[in-house]
Amino acid sequence: MNRFTTRTAGGLALPRRTILKGGAAMAATALGAPFINRLHAKEAHPLAGQTIEMNILGIAGWLPSSLGVQMSPIFADFAKETYGYDVRFGFAEAPFSDLFQKAATSLATRSQEFNIIISDSQWLGALAQPGWIVKLNDIIAANPALQVDWFSQTVVDTYMTYPDGSADRYGLPQEGDTIALFLRKDMLDDPAEQAAFQQKYGMKLPTTFEEYETLTMAEFEKVADHFNRPDQGVWGTAMQYSRVYDFVSCYLYPFMWSQGGQIWNPDNGEVVGILNSDINARAMEEMKGWLKYQPPGATNFGIAEQVDVFTQGKVFSCFQWAAVGLVMIPQEMRDKVMVVAPPKHGAGADAGRIYTMGGQPWVLNAFNDDPHMRVGVDFLKWWYQPETTIEFARRGGNPCDAATLNDANFDSINPWNRAYKYMLSEGRSRDFWHHPKYAEMLALQQEGFSAFMTGQNNDAKAVLDYIACGQQQILNDVGDAPTVPGMCYSTSL
Amino acid sequence: MTVSSGTRAPSRAHDSRRVLIFLLLAPVLAFFIVFNTIPLLWLLGLSFHNFSLTGGVDPQFVGFRNYYQLWLGRNNFWGDLSRTFAFVGVGVTIQTVLGMALGLLFWGSKAMPGRRIALTLLFTPMVLTPVASGTFFRFIYDANFGVLNAIGRGLGFETIDYLGDPAFAFWAVLAVDIWMWTPFMIMMTLAALGSVPKAELEAAEIDRIPFWKRFSLVILHHGKFILMLGIVLRTIDSFKTLDLIIPMTKGGPGQQTRLVAVELNKQAFESFNMGFSSAYAVYLLLVSIAMTSIFIFVLNLRRQREG
Repeated sequence: MNRFTTRTAGGLALPRRTILKGGAAMAATALGAPFINRLHAKEAHPLAGQTIEMNILGIAGWLPSSLGVQMSPIFADFAKETYGYDVRFGFAEAPFSDLFQKAATSLATRSQEFNIIISDSQWLGALAQPGWIVKLNDIIAANPALQVDWFSQTVVDTYMTYPDGSADRYGLPQEGDTIALFLRKDMLDDPAEQAAFQQKYGMKLPTTFEEYETLTMAEFEKVADHFNRPDQGVWGTAMQYSRVYDFVSCYLYPFMWSQGGQIWNPDNGEVVGILNSDINARAMEEMKGWLKYQPPGATNFGIAEQVDVFTQGKVFSCFQWAAVGLVMIPQEMRDKVMVVAPPKHGAGADAGRIYTMGGQPWVLNAFNDDPHMRVGVDFLKWWYQPETTIEFARRGGNPCDAATLNDANFDSINPWNRAYKYMLSEGRSRDFWHHPKYAEMLALQQEGFSAFMTGQNNDAKAVLDYIACGQQQILNDVGDAPTVPGMCYSTSL
Repeated sequence: MTVSSGTRAPSRAHDSRRVLIFLLLAPVLAFFIVFNTIPLLWLLGLSFHNFSLTGGVDPQFVGFRNYYQLWLGRNNFWGDLSRTFAFVGVGVTIQTVLGMALGLLFWGSKAMPGRRIALTLLFTPMVLTPVASGTFFRFIYDANFGVLNAIGRGLGFETIDYLGDPAFAFWAVLAVDIWMWTPFMIMMTLAALGSVPKAELEAAEIDRIPFWKRFSLVILHHGKFILMLGIVLRTIDSFKTLDLIIPMTKGGPGQQTRLVAVELNKQAFESFNMGFSSAYAVYLLLVSIAMTSIFIFVLNLRRQREG
């Protein structure tokens, strides 16, 4: 009898035959699992029963990027139920200023280290031109779930298209983003402040979204001036002037574009004579003028510094990306903050409002093998499902599809949603260069704009000459612009 | 026959010794060729091409165009180079003077209680990674929340934007570099002092030779090679300063703290402008070789005079 029993750890004696039967059943279950899964899965899928490891490269310290990562387990459940395969996600991160470097060095080696990448919109050209990311036209055409009705053409132009104006699609929006104006509602609602403002400036203190919708920067300057109290440690506003990444550029462009300035001619690559215009020089002077309403050190302000000064009550208002709404408005400030559309530039009928687009697209690594490519596409299809987009919005993200944004409840989900949607509408926000030489052109310009804003060079026109010449030379080097004119050899910062 | 065999035997021994030497050197030589010579030649070749990693096209031969553009001052090359020389010159000089002064102080206070702990603490900045030090000081220098301005405001001074004001940024970064690397020169000074024969020092003391003469005739005489080695190492290292600048200012405001290594890093690994950055690196290599040669020349000159 003893020869045919086995003692378990708990001391229970089992017949060997029972163990063998149990083992066989378990083996059959393990081997048959894929087929059972396939039977359970709603759709027949070539990967059913398999386990796939996916890696996403995202932006460190950037809430919308981390939301995409946080929501991936929901996709894992969805994939299991719908397609019958298991998917596990790994994540890598780098800050904005280093992410492209991290992605590019990996992709240049034809690696599939990162299967899905949260790219910045301006990198589309640099990633697409060497063939590192997948051209999505065929994938979109084959998958109705990816044929999304986007909220505006701006979404398509910003997150999906390269070359600009073409029908080629390389990205799909992960997070939409626009600049919004965050205001201290509690200060605006104070009757004493309203009376004092009325008395000092002879106009009503704007307190509603509608009133800010029609406000110009000249009028908002009065509001910022009213709340600018350095002796109390409170300043009127905060913008971004930092030379890191694209910070100062994104905040200077609205001053230029809204008043008719342009930054280049995308058709022939000309920059000289376009960027270094009088309108743009005036725009630079204007933006620099706003420093007097901002805390010390504002010339170093980027996204994080703005969040710090706003949440710590050092500024009354802040021009900030809608994407960081969740950190700009912590729970304890939920009733104290109002988010509106940023003011128009210029005066009267000529006043315009064209701000810079933020946000990031998803892109797929072109070196993914077939299983990873399939899972990547499945992931994107899931990302644009109505349940996913609304969940993304609930968690603080900014979807871009028309169905979600036009939903009657969308504006009330987050305090910044109305302003975000307003600025995402056609013609109110604009992206800049998707050219492969984007990084080089940007670095040159960031230095120039920073030099002007910090007072290293106080001649706006000379700085613009320097940048325009440098950028056209960069484009000329790759045959995308005419030779720089002779005046360029005498420009310097 | 006897003669010929007598000559062959040492020759064979000589040959086998040469083979042995070659075999012993081979791994090092192979390493040097694979990781030094080939990349250097590759860099040289690439410097004559127009090649962007993100361009999607093969490298195009452009002759000396990259060198010529740099020579004409593209991307403010000469401005960056002169700023770097200022950074190296001022920084290494202060580090050397401070390091020697503190080194002499510690050398002369061997009985001081807590000397070892003080020395260990003094060496701490040197062992921290520059990125960590840079990040740390960025917060210290912050205009709104930084401790330096908090102290300044407490003493009634105006807030200073150390890293955002063009008048301060360069010096603020340089101060951190000096804070970090003065301990290295203290260490080199202590090593130099350790190489001075005690008998000569005692003789100088018995003869009541003034300190300054003892320093120049005895200490420097014996320790100058170690000190010079320290200065050469600091000069070369300082010329390559990058990891301190990136977290502090990224080269800003404007171009105020943009040293050559910062621009080279940007061209190569942010803009992926590989041809242009290769030419840039070749220029810097030539400058480094020239600087090191000058130091070696000065050292040899003195040695020849003394010989």
